[in-house]
Amino acid sequence: MEKNQDMLGAEGIGVKNVPTLELKPNPHNPRMLFDRKPLEILRESIKRVGILVPLTVYRERRTGHLVILDGQRRWICAQNLKLETVPVNEVAEPSLAQNIVTMFQIHKLREDWELMPTALKLEVLMRELKETNAARLVELTGLEEAVVVRCKKLLYYPKGYQDMMLDADPDKRLKADFFIELYSVITDRDLKKMSWFRRDRFIDQMLEKYLIAPKIIKSVTDFRLIKQHMTNARKAGKQHQLSSRLQRFAEKREVPIETLELSEAKVHATASKLVRDVVRIKTAIGQIDVESYYGEGELWDALVELMHLLQQKLREADKRI
Amino acid sequence: MRHPLLPGCRIDATRMRTWLDSFEGYRVAVSQGAIERWIEQFDPGHRDMAARILDSVDFINKLRIQAAFRTILQSLPGWSIQENQRLGKWRFVPFSGSSGTSADSMIHLFRMANALTSRQFNKLFIYRRDLLQEDYTENDTIVFIDDFSGTGTQACNSWREFFSEIVPLRPKKVLALVAISIRAQQRITRETELEVWNDIQLRDSDNIFHDECLHFTALDKQITLRYCRRADRSNPRGFGDCGYVVVFPERCPNNSIPVLYMSHQRWRGLFPRHD
Repeated sequence: MEKNQDMLGAEGIGVKNVPTLELKPNPHNPRMLFDRKPLEILRESIKRVGILVPLTVYRERRTGHLVILDGQRRWICAQNLKLETVPVNEVAEPSLAQNIVTMFQIHKLREDWELMPTALKLEVLMRELKETNAARLVELTGLEEAVVVRCKKLLYYPKGYQDMMLDADPDKRLKADFFIELYSVITDRDLKKMSWFRRDRFIDQMLEKYLIAPKIIKSVTDFRLIKQHMTNARKAGKQHQLSSRLQRFAEKREVPIETLELSEAKVHATASKLVRDVVRIKTAIGQIDVESYYGEGELWDALVELMHLLQQKLREADKRI
Repeated sequence: MRHPLLPGCRIDATRMRTWLDSFEGYRVAVSQGAIERWIEQFDPGHRDMAARILDSVDFINKLRIQAAFRTILQSLPGWSIQENQRLGKWRFVPFSGSSGTSADSMIHLFRMANALTSRQFNKLFIYRRDLLQEDYTENDTIVFIDDFSGTGTQACNSWREFFSEIVPLRPKKVLALVAISIRAQQRITRETELEVWNDIQLRDSDNIFHDECLHFTALDKQITLRYCRRADRSNPRGFGDCGYVVVFPERCPNNSIPVLYMSHQRWRGLFPRHD
């Protein structure tokens, strides 16, 4: 980590005014980030009081251009207002990794963005920093851990499949959720050992079942059910039985998910009972009058413990908390 | 739009043969039976007009696509098949791929058209996901390849949603299309960083419902619209009210009139877009 921090430190060179048109936008900046309304507010503010916080820029060694590291919104407003110069704080040229990290930190991930572009930027960062640890990547980028984990799952897939999430035609474009949900199935340790299993062929078969009518896989969450069947088979020591059923399910387009059921009923019954228990506990906790129970240390400790356990289980299930 | 025969011409074997030859290579085979069933969906008094709609369909077959891609690449400044004569680095990327597969037919046609099929040219053709992987300068060119844009909506939306995130800032970015409408070209140029190059340009006269289209009378247009409403109530003139009669082998664009491609209980299109 120390090495990473060294790589990410930028050295200050000084504040000065430079011609607005001399600046270049950052190649790693999200170019469509700038919503019109907040930009208008910023422009009005700059019109009244000028640019109070200098833009952070660096001089690109290869081209000699002054490139914006932070302050692209201010720069756009300055151009709109036809300001001849803008104040800048010039820092040393960042490495590619520094640059991407800065962009991540400045422009937090917007929820409605497609996930694949973020995954690709994260990939560059992982390569440049030789860093794959999710917690460290969270720290570096400011992304949520669940987002980093989802991005890493997308990067597991061969390029052709990744491209399906980047298709200009929305009819042909696949949602990242398909591949994220499929991930837990195709990385299952038992599946990988099955002699008939070929990863890319299996992905193609699942795509067919999902895309071509009549759809056998109706929702991407169906992969959770498939994974559940696989886990149940493992627990019951029935991997062989499941292997042949799974092969039939994959190779024959019309074979439904139900064919994979082995001991599903038992798990489903347990899950249903748990849901009833959760509802009961939720009601009881909801009725607690905090002031009346303030001194019940054991209760509060138990609730904290429960919260930690819930968070842990939700994380294990890749649920966003 | 192709010139239809004059009103009243018979639907004889020659005319049928012309249609069958023209529409050869569509993703779903267009047979004589399919054509006859399609025409029979029109009232007897309107079948002459239905036949004239088929005459006017501009089926852009693979040979025409290849010719278009050849023309475009040869026109692009800085391109040469000889690496040492090229200006900067060149990369070719599919803008849109074949549905549900990782293979790409449009790129294959582009490579065939420009004699770029041999292994030495493989490095020029990259995945969309690889756009971030290389460093580019202002001298470099990235060419996105696709067949058609009717309104520019897809190109502009995908640009806003993700291409702008992964397409490098510095190189020249070209969108090479076989065909495009003038309004799509204007919109893409205005809303994205893409420079549009195309071979076929669709004008108002290619819109079957437009006053500039002189192949059909006002009454023909009214009657056609009635059938188009039966085919697609929400977009009877085709997506973006384009009213085109253009068809590509891989798929009929949704900017074409819906009687050509919509398929449901009330209508069977001759060029269905989906399986």
